[in-house]
Amino acid sequence: MGEEILEFLILGLVLGGIYALFAVGLTLIFGVLDIINVAHGEFFAIGGYAIYIAMVVFKLPPAAGLVMATVAAFLVGLAVYPLLLAPLKKRLGRRAPGPLFLVLTLGLSALMQNSMLAAAGGEYLKVPPAIKGGLDLSFTYISNQRLLIVAVASLSLAALFLFLRFHRQGMAIRAVAQNPAAAQSVGIPLGRIFTLTVGLGCALAGLAGGLIAPLFSVYPAVGFTLTIKAFAITILGGMGNLVGALVASLIIATVEAMSVLVIPSEWQNAIAFGTMILVLLVRPSGLFGKKQP
Amino acid sequence: MSRPVRTLAIIALAFAGLAAPLVWSHPFVLHIAVQALIWALFAASWDLLSGYTGQVSFGHAGFFSIGAYTAAISTKLLGFSSWLGMTAALLLCGLVGLCVGFPALRLRGHYLALVTLGFGEIVQLVAQNWGALTGGPFGMHDYGTFTGLPSDPLAQRQAAYLIVAAISLVGLAILLYVTRRTTAGPAFRAIREDQVLAASLGIDTTFFKLLAFTLSAGFAGLAGALYAYYIQLVSPTIGSSAQSALVIGMAVFGGIGTIWGPFLGAILLFSITESLRFIGVVYNLIVVGAVMIVFVIFIPRGLAGIRLRRRGRQQRADRQAVDAAS
Amino acid sequence: MLTIEGVSAGYGRLEILHKVSLEVAPGEIVGIIGPNGAGKSTLLKTIFGYLPPFEGMIRFAGDTLAGLSPDCVMRRGIGYVAQAGGVFADMSVHENLVLGGYSLGSSRAVTTAIERVYAQFPLFRSRAGQRAGSLSGGEQRALAVARTLVVEPRLIILDEPSAALAPRFIDEIYATLVNLNRSGIALLIVEQNVRRILDAAHRVVVLDMGRNAFAGASAELRQSDRIRRLYLGEDAG
Repeated sequence: MGEEILEFLILGLVLGGIYALFAVGLTLIFGVLDIINVAHGEFFAIGGYAIYIAMVVFKLPPAAGLVMATVAAFLVGLAVYPLLLAPLKKRLGRRAPGPLFLVLTLGLSALMQNSMLAAAGGEYLKVPPAIKGGLDLSFTYISNQRLLIVAVASLSLAALFLFLRFHRQGMAIRAVAQNPAAAQSVGIPLGRIFTLTVGLGCALAGLAGGLIAPLFSVYPAVGFTLTIKAFAITILGGMGNLVGALVASLIIATVEAMSVLVIPSEWQNAIAFGTMILVLLVRPSGLFGKKQP
Repeated sequence: MSRPVRTLAIIALAFAGLAAPLVWSHPFVLHIAVQALIWALFAASWDLLSGYTGQVSFGHAGFFSIGAYTAAISTKLLGFSSWLGMTAALLLCGLVGLCVGFPALRLRGHYLALVTLGFGEIVQLVAQNWGALTGGPFGMHDYGTFTGLPSDPLAQRQAAYLIVAAISLVGLAILLYVTRRTTAGPAFRAIREDQVLAASLGIDTTFFKLLAFTLSAGFAGLAGALYAYYIQLVSPTIGSSAQSALVIGMAVFGGIGTIWGPFLGAILLFSITESLRFIGVVYNLIVVGAVMIVFVIFIPRGLAGIRLRRRGRQQRADRQAVDAAS
Repeated sequence: MLTIEGVSAGYGRLEILHKVSLEVAPGEIVGIIGPNGAGKSTLLKTIFGYLPPFEGMIRFAGDTLAGLSPDCVMRRGIGYVAQAGGVFADMSVHENLVLGGYSLGSSRAVTTAIERVYAQFPLFRSRAGQRAGSLSGGEQRALAVARTLVVEPRLIILDEPSAALAPRFIDEIYATLVNLNRSGIALLIVEQNVRRILDAAHRVVVLDMGRNAFAGASAELRQSDRIRRLYLGEDAG
């Protein structure tokens, strides 16, 4: 029984890594721009398609595929603020962002998902694993792909945190999130930071999509369930709090993995939604959050 | 044009528009028209809560779905006539709306939208997995249609059209009456513009928010029931987030916050995209996404704003009143 | 050095400033006083670019500022100290100063600049790792000033530097400001504490209901019966 639990814990870690990349990206965007990117799952899908194209169509090595996944999502993400969000912000003027931005990113999500559907078709595309083989432990077998996911996710997140902490632009991003007026007064250009932040957040989603593509398959709506779960995760962790998103990702992933022991697997998704509703009712600021709804 | 003349002109136009599919009586045209009217009622109900009262709901298809399943289940298991089934759907969804409204009271903006999204997802999950009640992923299809329809297929469709049109219009009329002719209307608008200010002016925001939730959910459920009886198939996907997104797109197209704008917008957008299905199934959804983006940024008042500047004046007046009072 | 002519500005459709004019010469300390709602803060925000002016001219050392965003205005050599919440509260003192040097680009230039600021404000060197939000009100204000100094501005704009500070801290802040001015930095200060600003400033401008009311050397205004009656609460004669 203990071994079974351990097995599920490992699965939770793997899923948690993916959830974390995705949710941290989403939280980054929210923390800096105060906007929820409903289309985040579509950048996850872009990552999947990019690695498919890289590895299956162009027969490139997996590392190149992952890089392409991240870069593709980054580049498309860079376009979102200047083309979509900035014009709306300009029209709304001093009124705080809110539901209208949600509708906007919702429209983007529909546009992107269906464009991918139109361009690539709805079939579930298969991507070969980046590394074959695995680790044979006494009680279970862990594929190298899963180990890779945990490794890459951990390293990427660590790199992100270091970037935000020490790099000039990373500090600028944090400054804008904390105090946009003061940030401007030291010469930080808000528009450019917003653009960079959205690009960065989407890049993380793309990386997650590329990493899990061998396990999930690639299709236009692949990011959808994850997006909704990510909302639940960010609320649990406290919206706008990166560490909260990381911790909440691991919690939800682990609980989901372990839940198979107690509830039928079709209801697995209800855990995330149920948690979100519960948190919103009981403690809306989440585990680490400060922003009040 | 003076007001009574304009009202008459609108009624005449509306009458002509509604009579057209009947006169034409092409079965496919009727098919699109019926569904368009169902979506119109659905969109108008969404607008009452989200556009007019400012409580943006991202999971409204959940109410639609509950209404549809209520109709199907009540007819199949309890032998309700379609009239009874529709009433049951209306009342039950109103009740569910009231229940959802309570926790939503303390939430604003994104948090409210997310919790409604969660609600929609849970409804879909239940519909999908509680097979004994809902028929599982395949749904239900053997509960029949509107009670008392003639057996000739064309006549059946015409009669169905009449029923759906009548109910949709009555629904729209009720929503319009509540927002334009009762004290609820200004209260809803006040809550949308500035909730804190509204409360400080003595408006019972709790009551009116719950009222908005109840009415909105009830009519969405009624639309769902109409759908159930017309299409004669209910499945979990009718409560999906894609459906919720679709109704938002239609409302944006028509003009959020006007009630009749989304009603009309739904009819137009649905008819256009359904006709476009001949080109390719997927492009219509791309159109909806593009519409949402373009309209939210550049045409915020939707179709409603382009034509009658009166609406814009109402919203500007609301906003100025808020600026002056704060 | 700073010239403002006929500037009108406000929020949305609400016009708060009506054709306001003002000048700051290099090395001068100019104070702006006036009743609440006169538009003093709005004027500073408009100069620094937080608000676009509806009309009028804003020039600094030959460059036009009107229409520029704050991050561009600061690069012309102007610093801004907000009335409250000017520091990055969740960051350390050191990080605040590092961010102050954002526009310098290269980290070596920033390090040198920060060294200079630490020399001027030894207090912060010992508190470098402390979270800025945990500093006292006066220290936070001083940190905001120090942060602007990282890029050696020629003019610093301050919005009510004495606001919400105990008299001891007000003394300190003004001592710092006068000191800075001696090294050649011009200051434009909005103040509610009329006595302080009359003492410190060379010239004072009075704004009332968004318009210029009067202006003059602070010594002159100190003598003026009207000012004394209106703002110092002293009866003339």
